Amino acid sequence: MQYPQARRRTPLPLTALLLAAILAGCGGGGDDPAAASADHEARKAAMLAHMQAHFDTEPSLPPAVGEALERGEVTQEEIDRRAAAGEYERFFQFLTPADLPADLAWENGADLPEVGSPEARQGGTLYSAIQDFPRTLRLLGPDANGSFRPWLLDDTAMNFARRHPNVTTIDDQGNFRYYPGIAEAWTMDRESRRVFVRIDPAARFNDGEPITTDDVMFSFYFWQQPWVQAPWYNNFFSRNFEHVTRYDEHTFSVTLPEAKPNMIGRMLELEPMPLHFFAEFGEDFVQRYQWRHVPTSGPYRIREEDLRKGRSITLRQVDDWWARDKKHWRYRFNPDAVHFTVIRDIAKAFEAFRKGELGMFNVTLPEYYYEKLPADDELLKNGYVHRAVFYNDTPRPTYGLWINSGRPLLDNQDIRVGIHHATNWEKVIAEYFRGDYQRMRTSADGYGEFTHPTLEARSFDVEAALARFAAAGFTRRGPDGVLVNDAGTRLSFNLSTGYEALKDVLTILREEALQAGVEFRLEVLDGTAAWKKVQEKQHDIAFSAFAVSPEMYPRYWETFHSVNAYDVPWLADGSPNPDRKLKPQTNNLTSTALPELDRRIEAYRASGDVEEMKRLAFEMEQILYEDGAFVPGFVIPFFRTAYWHWVRWPEDFNVKLASSAGDHHLYWIDESERERVQQARRAGEALPASDRVFDQYRVE
Amino acid sequence: MRLNPLTVRKLKRFREIRRGYYSAILLAVLTVLSLGAELLVSDRAVAVRYDGEWYFPTYADVKLGAEFGLTGTAAVTPVDYRALAERFAGTDDRVIMPLVPWGPQANDAVDGVLRARAPDFEREHYLGTDSTGRDILARLVYGFRTAILFAAAFTVLTYAIGISIGCAMGYFGGVFDLLFQRLIEIWSNIPFLYMVIIVFSVIPSTFEISTRIGILLLIMVLFSWTGLTYYMRTETYREKARDYTAAALVLGASTARVIFRHILPNTIATMITFVPFTVVSAITAITALDFLGWGLPPPTPSIGELLKQGTANLTTAPWIVTSAFAVLVFVLAVVTFIGEAVREAFDPKKFTYYR
Repeated sequence: MQYPQARRRTPLPLTALLLAAILAGCGGGGDDPAAASADHEARKAAMLAHMQAHFDTEPSLPPAVGEALERGEVTQEEIDRRAAAGEYERFFQFLTPADLPADLAWENGADLPEVGSPEARQGGTLYSAIQDFPRTLRLLGPDANGSFRPWLLDDTAMNFARRHPNVTTIDDQGNFRYYPGIAEAWTMDRESRRVFVRIDPAARFNDGEPITTDDVMFSFYFWQQPWVQAPWYNNFFSRNFEHVTRYDEHTFSVTLPEAKPNMIGRMLELEPMPLHFFAEFGEDFVQRYQWRHVPTSGPYRIREEDLRKGRSITLRQVDDWWARDKKHWRYRFNPDAVHFTVIRDIAKAFEAFRKGELGMFNVTLPEYYYEKLPADDELLKNGYVHRAVFYNDTPRPTYGLWINSGRPLLDNQDIRVGIHHATNWEKVIAEYFRGDYQRMRTSADGYGEFTHPTLEARSFDVEAALARFAAAGFTRRGPDGVLVNDAGTRLSFNLSTGYEALKDVLTILREEALQAGVEFRLEVLDGTAAWKKVQEKQHDIAFSAFAVSPEMYPRYWETFHSVNAYDVPWLADGSPNPDRKLKPQTNNLTSTALPELDRRIEAYRASGDVEEMKRLAFEMEQILYEDGAFVPGFVIPFFRTAYWHWVRWPEDFNVKLASSAGDHHLYWIDESERERVQQARRAGEALPASDRVFDQYRVE
Repeated sequence: MRLNPLTVRKLKRFREIRRGYYSAILLAVLTVLSLGAELLVSDRAVAVRYDGEWYFPTYADVKLGAEFGLTGTAAVTPVDYRALAERFAGTDDRVIMPLVPWGPQANDAVDGVLRARAPDFEREHYLGTDSTGRDILARLVYGFRTAILFAAAFTVLTYAIGISIGCAMGYFGGVFDLLFQRLIEIWSNIPFLYMVIIVFSVIPSTFEISTRIGILLLIMVLFSWTGLTYYMRTETYREKARDYTAAALVLGASTARVIFRHILPNTIATMITFVPFTVVSAITAITALDFLGWGLPPPTPSIGELLKQGTANLTTAPWIVTSAFAVLVFVLAVVTFIGEAVREAFDPKKFTYYR
């Protein structure tokens, strides 16, 4: 089981879902293959024409213009007018191989060590469970960012290249180390801020179609279209790229607006979208592609008969996956099929695991590791089931309290810092998580050199909390022990969360906070409702976390810049705007708006110098610490997995960057062992037990 | 007050039905005890003697440690009376704790770990603790109190509305009756559980707990009074057609007098037989809602929430589900026994003079 994490997404209301279901149900008409084919051709022609028009007109806006547009200082009409006048270059460029710089030093990551174990065997089926049936098979758009997408894209596609999960050093160019996926070779030119990529001519989508530069050009067109109903994509693929340039069928480059560290990562970590598959792309994309499985460069496909809506899904390996024998890929994605059954109740899923119906189960929660599957459990002692604790080293999800400093009382720094001292994370970690988890130190733990080396979160200290509350005017205890000020206002706040599984943590925090005279009124919502609430900035304090990917350096703009806190944060003279309103639908959950922080965030975004960025990151963490709007909670420095004997793992179990047991797909299924375990169980014989801790990547 | 001899006979008959009679006494005693639960099950002391003076903290304002001579952090935080009792041991000062010295919210760790603890008499967790170390007995007592008070309020309100409207329909008849009948038919077809879930998903769960209970009560009452009107309406129609009503009207009795003096007392016997079953359905509903997670917000103690925890920890902490289930079955059984006895005692076939 994994905690649901807040992601960048817009939840769809129930009514819209019902409507979508009805619409999907109505679309069963076209029985006539000839008509369907004609319709397909017509749509394809329309899409190609629209794409060509987009190629011909889409301007490449300088960053300053883009920001002015975001702030509303220039209108879209004005931009369109200027673009038509030819003021800006085109985003999409079409050149010839002769235009490639002559002295490019291509690299291909071939020297990096392999991933996985040579012992791995192909074959077998992994049985697994999901809590909810995915609401769509699209890769983006409404509902696409659900917990099943790693299986459709994030963990199963190859991308142009992937960051090596064990060699996590930074090279002399300021990049992470990448091993090749779809790309055969790549290079960059810092001067002109360009990343060049050469696609492997052998590369194929898993429906057999070759991957070419045309798919790359299409992908940018696709991601920039409002039809995908994914504003984050629209913004990201216009604002973070200046040009995409085609040289020939297999060679292209992108130009970035600034030369940041790990420049190549921005391009290499993408997966191109198949042009041939999206031939019917248009305004109705969201409905039309709702249940079509998008081909990727990865090994798994979902056939129509393997999709039993609401009940189960099976991913099957394609017969001739083009990368099957490629170094870095050949020992991975070993099962022939992965079968998912929908089991809504975690307790029930655990019972299914104990019966052997599921191959592995996440036992990271202490409740499972110590109580429900303890070391002396029969299954473990008899060696039918094994356990592994694996310490990883990767950026940590930011579990903590996000204090909305745009709300009354909480806009007082003394009260915020008082709340820091009044939240007893030490007790939660020691007594509820049994000392296995660690206290989070800053808002950006786990970024290696970019994480502040010395800063520590404030500890639980009733006297310090009372002193801070007193400074804010809360000196007296009311009849129920909660502090009140002279105006008779109680020191009481709503504490909202979407993590049903972690509500006990909040009840502990609540009890402890009462010691310090502050009351938390708990509000446990379902995940979607809670996320909607914080996105609308309706919360006082939210217990939440952002999912993070193994990036080189943390992001601050989304979560702490003032433009994401208020509609018009400042007056022209730089003083706070008295009429400002909280800005909904942004990730600045703390409504932080500090000019000195803004300046550093902007410098940090624009900087390409690792040392300068580190310095800025440390300064920003210091400012955030002083400001006290984010109360760091806990980090989980490991994952714990229980698995049946027939699920096998490499000698060192997993890779440094693994955030769950399965995400790098290193395991394999030994069907003959399955047979053996079943026989042993019937006969009551024991097999060798295994209950191991892998701490080779442990960081203290 | 002189009771109607008929009523006296009914009560006597009720007393003769042993099972129902003792159940009623038991439930009454438990309800009264639960009203004073703070004196029996709480982490606040019943009485403290310090420096020769007596303090009674149960219903008083929260006291800080300084009042009892504590120093350091303990001086500025609410008093932990269990710790205070240990501190006062062997001195003249005394702390008298309740029978169960645990409140429904306190987390008590086992060897520094918050997990479920099996019943432990030494630590005075008589029914053990739940998965975060909270005393199950305390949570059951306070959960029972909420449930029984809720059920009582629910019954009173439902009957007040159901009887008034039903009686009015029967008495006035005509268009009024017709209109209300149709309204009730429509109204009673709205599924009540869905309404509760929908309403609760839109009201913020940060309302005061009492407000939330009030809203839940209101919704349940709104969807439950309709059933009673049918009985009340027909009973009223029947009584209105009787000679004594006609006589009263001829003598010049006002409408109010006819209804309250003549009709209501003669119809109420039927209504009373439904009361215990209404109570049962109220307790079941609030427990079910808590079990489904649509009831009272955490950390409010409730039987439904304990049942939910219990089913999730069926193998590792069976005492949670056992106690919660036993309490629920016990309460429902007792109320049902009362219901049976009332129905039998008030059976008009036994006592009616005419018919």
